[in-house]
Amino acid sequence: MSVFFKDISKNQLVSWEELIEDLKKIRSFNKYCKSEDYYEIFKNIIISMLTGTEIVLLDSDFTDTELSALMGSAAYDDAIIPVDGQITQLLDKSSLIEKLSHTNESWKVSLFTSGTTGVPKQVTHRYETLTRFVKLSDKHRDDIWGFAFNPTHMAGLQVFLQALLNGNSIIRLFGLSLNEIHQEIALNKISNISATPTFYRLLLFPCEQQFLTVKRLTSGGEKFNAVVSRRLKEVFPGAKLTNVYASTEAGTLFASEDDVFTVKAGFEDLVKEIDGELLIHKSLMANSSFPIDDWYNTGDLVEVITNTPLKFRFISRKTEMINVGGYKVNPQEVEEILQTISGVEAVKVYSKSNSVLGNIVCCEIVCESGVELQESTIRLYLQTKLQEFKIPRIIRFVDNLETTRTGKLMRN
Amino acid sequence: MEKKILELVNTVLNNRGKKLLKKLKPEMSLRNDLDLDSLDLAELTVRIEVEYDIDIFEDGIVSSVGEIYKKLEMTK
Repeated sequence: MSVFFKDISKNQLVSWEELIEDLKKIRSFNKYCKSEDYYEIFKNIIISMLTGTEIVLLDSDFTDTELSALMGSAAYDDAIIPVDGQITQLLDKSSLIEKLSHTNESWKVSLFTSGTTGVPKQVTHRYETLTRFVKLSDKHRDDIWGFAFNPTHMAGLQVFLQALLNGNSIIRLFGLSLNEIHQEIALNKISNISATPTFYRLLLFPCEQQFLTVKRLTSGGEKFNAVVSRRLKEVFPGAKLTNVYASTEAGTLFASEDDVFTVKAGFEDLVKEIDGELLIHKSLMANSSFPIDDWYNTGDLVEVITNTPLKFRFISRKTEMINVGGYKVNPQEVEEILQTISGVEAVKVYSKSNSVLGNIVCCEIVCESGVELQESTIRLYLQTKLQEFKIPRIIRFVDNLETTRTGKLMRN
Repeated sequence: MEKKILELVNTVLNNRGKKLLKKLKPEMSLRNDLDLDSLDLAELTVRIEVEYDIDIFEDGIVSSVGEIYKKLEMTK
């Protein structure tokens, strides 16, 4: 049996053959897709592709208030579209993939960005921008994906399309417990995982096993620190680590084996750096609910290594820099130092507005199980590693770090 | 309250490895007598805010211990 999707949290194990049988039974679908069931979401995306109709992906945990803020008066449960049974008849796995890889230009998918402040905004992509970096080849035919994103977010959608168009298996990891994640990777011989650094951090601490079947780990969204990179290599000794630059607005744009991104031929006039910030030409962007000029300010601060070809490294999110009385503090830098302290499992450095300095640096620390760290020990250590203004003024010990909808650390 | 403020000032001083105080007097200058720099003052405001829900620097600079007492008294 060739597995299409497995989700132990819902006791689901669906083969490609069962997927095709289920698709054949579908006579209608709701263009507003909101479900806790990943398999339902995947089926809906496939049907929308086959019929060339728009699908709007909504997080299952959106409240009614959030939905009305996002969509105005649109009734998401009243947009049922009939499906012509002819479309799904006589399908088998290879003809389904063949049809999907020729998805009509009228197909579009709308989703919402996960900004940490304000209301998320809607962006709409077509097949071309979503599959820009999908790799189709025999080499990928037997890939088994650990699915570690929310399927209604950009990164989840990209992993889904990569797996779907190559006829792969998708094993849910997102939202499972640490033990379940370890178990699923080993049991299903997962070969590829794409996840946020936060997901990897949680997966690694603690982790006593090694996973030899994993050949590629992809990450993006936040900068990887040295401690996590080293642990990843120990736990996944056979895996190559790929760093991807992607956003909900632009889809995947660059991929790199290390932290230096090179702008490929053909893209050189569409990407530039101004005042340390990365700018993307609008032709690479999705349609958006907000107006953009010819160039879109990504808010990502980069360090240019060479201009021709343009090579750069990400330093930080522009908005994440903490301005302490005119001194800029990069929270990632402070986090990396804190991570090197023995007994520290996870940290979050964030900004708190302050009437004296504008902002001050604060942090939350999760200690390893059974370890009790003293604030004074941490301060003494930081004083040897960081300039004074970068040292968190308020240090809190917590059990868990809060994360955003996508699993990124929430800074404010 | 005065005891609590002394405790908070000493927490800030201790965090920077500075000499702790045994007693606070209203006329003491935060900068000169207590040896607090702007980072220390910023931290002190946060700690006082957590305790009393008042930002002592919200509408201007407070320069002496007595002024802190006054601010906290006013909002009681």
